[in-house]
Amino acid sequence: MSERKMAAAALEKLKEQAGINRASLRGKTLILLGAATCGRAVGALEVAKTFRDEIERLQLDAAVVEVGCMGHCYAEPMAIIYKPGFSGICYGYLNEGVASRLVQDFLVEGDPCVEFALAATGINDFIPTFQDFPRGIVEQKTVMEHCGFIDPENIEDYLAVGGYGSLAAALDREPSGVIKEIKASGLRGRGGAGFPTGLKWEMCSSSPESTRYVICNADEGDPGAFMDRTILESNPHLVIEGLAIAAYSAGAGKAYFYVRAEYPLAVERIKKALQQAAGLGIIGKAMLGAEYSLDIEVFQGSGAFVCGEETALIASMEGEPGLPRHRPPYPAVAGLFGKPTVIDNVKTLSYVPLIIKNGADWFKATGTEKSPGTAIFALAGKLVSTGLTEVPMGTTLSQIIYDVGSGIAGNKKFKAVQIGGPSGGCLPEETLETPVDYESLSKAGAMMGSGGMVVLDENDCMVEIARFFLDFTQKESCGKCTFCRLGTKHMLDILERITKGKGQPEDIDLLLELAEDVRAGSLCNLGKTAPNPVLSTLRYFRREYDAHINEKRCPSLMCKDLIAYYILPDKCERSCDACVGSCPVEAIFSNEDRIKVVNQEKCVKCDSCMVACPPQYRAVIKVSPPEEVLRREREKGVK
Amino acid sequence: MILTEEEKREAVEKSRKILSRHDSSKGSLIPVLQEVQSALGYVPPDAMQEVAGHFNIPSVDVYGVVTFYNQFRLTPPGKNQVKLCMGTACHMRGAGIIMESWERVLSIKVGETTLDREFSLERVACVGCCTLAPVAVVNETVHGKMTPTKVDGMLFSHRLANPQQKEDKPE
Amino acid sequence: MGDKVKITIDGKEIAAVPGEKILWAALDNGIYIPHLCAGRDDHSPLASCRLCFVEIEGYAHPVPSCTQEVSGGMVITTRSERVDRIIGTGFELIMSNHRTDCRACPRNHSCELQKIARERKLKLKPARLPRLDRDLPVDGSAAKIKYDPNKCVLCGHCIRACREKGAGVLGFARRGFERAVTTFNGSPLGESGCNNCTACALACPVGALALKE
Repeated sequence: MSERKMAAAALEKLKEQAGINRASLRGKTLILLGAATCGRAVGALEVAKTFRDEIERLQLDAAVVEVGCMGHCYAEPMAIIYKPGFSGICYGYLNEGVASRLVQDFLVEGDPCVEFALAATGINDFIPTFQDFPRGIVEQKTVMEHCGFIDPENIEDYLAVGGYGSLAAALDREPSGVIKEIKASGLRGRGGAGFPTGLKWEMCSSSPESTRYVICNADEGDPGAFMDRTILESNPHLVIEGLAIAAYSAGAGKAYFYVRAEYPLAVERIKKALQQAAGLGIIGKAMLGAEYSLDIEVFQGSGAFVCGEETALIASMEGEPGLPRHRPPYPAVAGLFGKPTVIDNVKTLSYVPLIIKNGADWFKATGTEKSPGTAIFALAGKLVSTGLTEVPMGTTLSQIIYDVGSGIAGNKKFKAVQIGGPSGGCLPEETLETPVDYESLSKAGAMMGSGGMVVLDENDCMVEIARFFLDFTQKESCGKCTFCRLGTKHMLDILERITKGKGQPEDIDLLLELAEDVRAGSLCNLGKTAPNPVLSTLRYFRREYDAHINEKRCPSLMCKDLIAYYILPDKCERSCDACVGSCPVEAIFSNEDRIKVVNQEKCVKCDSCMVACPPQYRAVIKVSPPEEVLRREREKGVK
Repeated sequence: MILTEEEKREAVEKSRKILSRHDSSKGSLIPVLQEVQSALGYVPPDAMQEVAGHFNIPSVDVYGVVTFYNQFRLTPPGKNQVKLCMGTACHMRGAGIIMESWERVLSIKVGETTLDREFSLERVACVGCCTLAPVAVVNETVHGKMTPTKVDGMLFSHRLANPQQKEDKPE
Repeated sequence: MGDKVKITIDGKEIAAVPGEKILWAALDNGIYIPHLCAGRDDHSPLASCRLCFVEIEGYAHPVPSCTQEVSGGMVITTRSERVDRIIGTGFELIMSNHRTDCRACPRNHSCELQKIARERKLKLKPARLPRLDRDLPVDGSAAKIKYDPNKCVLCGHCIRACREKGAGVLGFARRGFERAVTTFNGSPLGESGCNNCTACALACPVGALALKE
C-alpha cells in the first residue's frame, strides 16, 4: 500500500505553502471577531469596523479576522483577542465603545480589561477558562472544535489545523475501506431519523449504475434550529471535506450542497470555500493527485420546509414542486434524476473527517452504545445562555438546560423543553433526567430531530405551542396527500377553537383519533410526525387543555382571546402616564381619580403598556378569563 | 396588481438574458426562476411564459413551481422588504405582536405591499437567529430583539432618512 | 414480461404479473380496493389519496396497494381493523373537503366517492368533522366544460388526460390546503388555451370537471 500515499503527500506540499503564508501573522495581535449571522444581527460588523479603525488610527501591529460562531450566541457580539504574552481572551456583549476601549487599554497599554472578559482560551493567572464553567465541563467539542477560532473565508486556516488531511487519507484508501471505517464507527444520520450513514453509502456504492450523486442536505427548516447554519458559516471546509469523502466512498462524481435561501451568508461562505478548495486542487479533476474527480455545486432551496424530506428535496432539484415521493425506492437506489443518491445532513458529514482522522474507536468512545458520538443542539427560548452546544450523546436534558444554558431567564419557572421542532415534542420537568439519544427521546415522546431545542417557561401556553407547530406544518404541508393536507387542517382548526375558548370536551378525543390516523396514513415523514407536538402536550399537559376548554381560561396568560390587560388601581401611580403614551391604539385613559384604565373594547393586547409600566409600580397585569376584569372592577365598586 | 407595459417588457428582456446562460435541462428550472426573481424582484406571468418556452414545458408547470415555493413572489415587492421571522423562538417571544405592529404602522397585512410600493411585509420561516428573537429582516439586515417601540422607531428613522435612499442588495 | 406469480388476496389465489402493483392485480380479479388517484400506467404512482391501504402478511403496517409490487406467495388482506380505520378517516377527510351536491351533480350514480361509500359502508356526510369548504368560484367560462374546484379531490386524472389528449393547460398549483388543479396564472378555463376536448371532464371521477349540460 506504500504507493498509495500520493494524496497525503500532495496535501503536505500544499500545507507547507499555507504555513509560509500564515507565518506573516505570527507575533501579531489577532482579534477574532464572531461574524456569523447571530453576531451580525447585533452589530458585529460595526464592532469590527471600530476595531479596524482604531488599529489603523493608532498604527498597531494587529489584525482583525472575521470568524464564525463558537456557540455562545447570547453574548454576541464576541471577540477573542490573542495578544503575544497573554492567553487568548474572549470578550462578549461588545459594542463600539467597548471595542475602542479594548484597543486602547489592552492592545496599547496591556490591561486585559477583565471586566469585559467572558473567559480565557488557555490557563492563566487571572481569568478562568471556558472549561472552568459548568458549560465547559458538560460540552465536548469535536465538530465545533474550530468554529469561531478559524477564518471560514480562508482555507489556509483550515489547512493549518489539519484540514483536508482526512480527505487525503481517504483518497489513499479504497472506497470500501472508508465505508468500513464509517460503518464501524456507528455514525447515524444527524438529520432526524438516525439511519446508519455507512450503510447508506454502501447501498449507493454497490449500485450497478455508474452515475451517482451525493447531496449535503443543508435545508435546515425546523423553526428554532440553527446548527447547520452555524457550522456552514463557521467552518465550511469541514463540511466540504466530509461531503468529498462521502462522494469518493459512494463513487459519485458530482455532489451538491442544498442550502436554504434564508441563509445567504452560509451560501456565500460555502461558495467561497469551494472556490478556494478547487483553486488549490483539493476538489476537482484528479484531486490531490488521485485518480478521482469530483465536482461540487451549490443548489439553493426556495423556501419549503418539506424539501428537508429527501424525496421532496430531490423533486425540487429536478425542477418540480417539492412533493415527497413514495419510498421505496430509496434515494440510495434511485434518487436524483433516477440515479443512486446519498443524502446526508450537514452535521452528519461534519463528523466524517473526524472519524477518518481519529478512527472509529475514538468516535465510539463518546456517547452511548446505540448512539455514539456527540450531539449538537441549538438552544433557544427562555434560557439565560442561548446558543449552540455540542455534548456527548447520553447527556441529560437537565445538564443541557441548567449547565450549558445556565437555566431559565428572568427567575421564571421551567415548564417544558421542545425538542425536534415540528416533528418533535414537548417534554416536562419530570423527564429532564432523560439522556439525549435517539431511542430515549422517542420513548419520552419527543424526537432527536435535527437538534433544535426551545425552552419554555411558565408564561408559555402548551396548547398554544401545539397550535403553533401544527400551524407551521399545515402551512408547510405540500398538500399532496389527504392526511397531511386535510387531517392537519382539521387538527389545527380544533386547536384554534380551543385557544379561542371555543373548545368542546369531545375535541380532545377527536384530536387524539385524528393524530393517530394522520400518523398512520400520511405519505411522508412530515405528515407522519406532524401530530407529535399535539400528542406530547396532551400527554404531559392535559390540564392546560382542560382549563382552556372547561374554564375558558389560559393558565399561562398567553392565548390572546382568553386574556385581558388590567391596571391595578392600588398600584397605579397618578402622576405617571407611561402606559397611556405607549399604547398604539389610545385604549388607555385616566379616570376621575387619575388612575389609568384599559378600554377593553379598543385594546389590541400588544403588551406595550405592560412593558412601559415602570418596574417600581408593576400596575399592569394580565388576567384570564377576560371576565376577570369585570369581576375585579365590580369588587372595587363595592368597596 | 396590474403591470405596466414597461414592466412587462423588462420582464421578458431580463428573462431572456438569464435563459441564454442556461441549458434546457429541467434541473435548472429553479435556479433560473431564482435569477429572474433576483433581477426583477418577482416572477411575473410574462417571465414565466418565457421560462416555460425555454424548458419546453407547459407554462402551468412553471406556475405550479412558482406558487409552491415561498421564495417566489408573483407581484412586485416594496422598495423595502420587511421579513418577519415566524420561527418557534420568535413566536414564543412575541413575534405575533411584532407582526401586528408592522401591520399597524404600515396599514397593510402580511403578504401585501404598501400602495406607494415603499414597503412590503412578509413572514418567513426561521432565519436561524433564534437567540435574538423576535427577529425582523429588513432588506437583508437582521434586526434582533424587536419590540413594538422599535418598529415605530425604525419606520420613523426611515422616513426621516428620505424614502429615495437606495439600499445595496447583495446578489 | 416474466412468468406470472401466485398471490393470495382475501383468501383468493390470483395469478399476477411480477412488478404489477397489488391494486391493479386485485381490481382485475374482481376484488375492490378504494382508490382515487391511481393510474394504471403511472411509472411512479402519486400515492396521494391514501385510500388503497391493504395488509400484507409480514409487514408491520398497512401499505398503499398502488405502490406495492406483487411478489410470489404474497398474502394480502384488503380489510382489517387498522385498514378500515385509515380508509374510514381518509374518506371522511376527503368528504369534509368535497362539496356534496349529489342530486345536482352530473356524476351522480357514477361517482367514485359514492362507490367507495357503498363498497365500504361509509357515510358520504362526515360524522365527526366539520366542512372545510373553500368557497371557490365555479368556472363556467369554457364552452363545453364546467369546473367546480370545491368538488376537486386532487386525484390528478384530469391533468393526465389534458396532457395526453388536450391542450395541456391544467396543472397543480400552490401547496398545502391551497393546493389546487388550475391553469396558468389561475386564468379561467375559457381563456387558458383549453381546446374543449373534454377529456378532463370524462376523466374526473367526482364531477369537479364535468360536461356542460
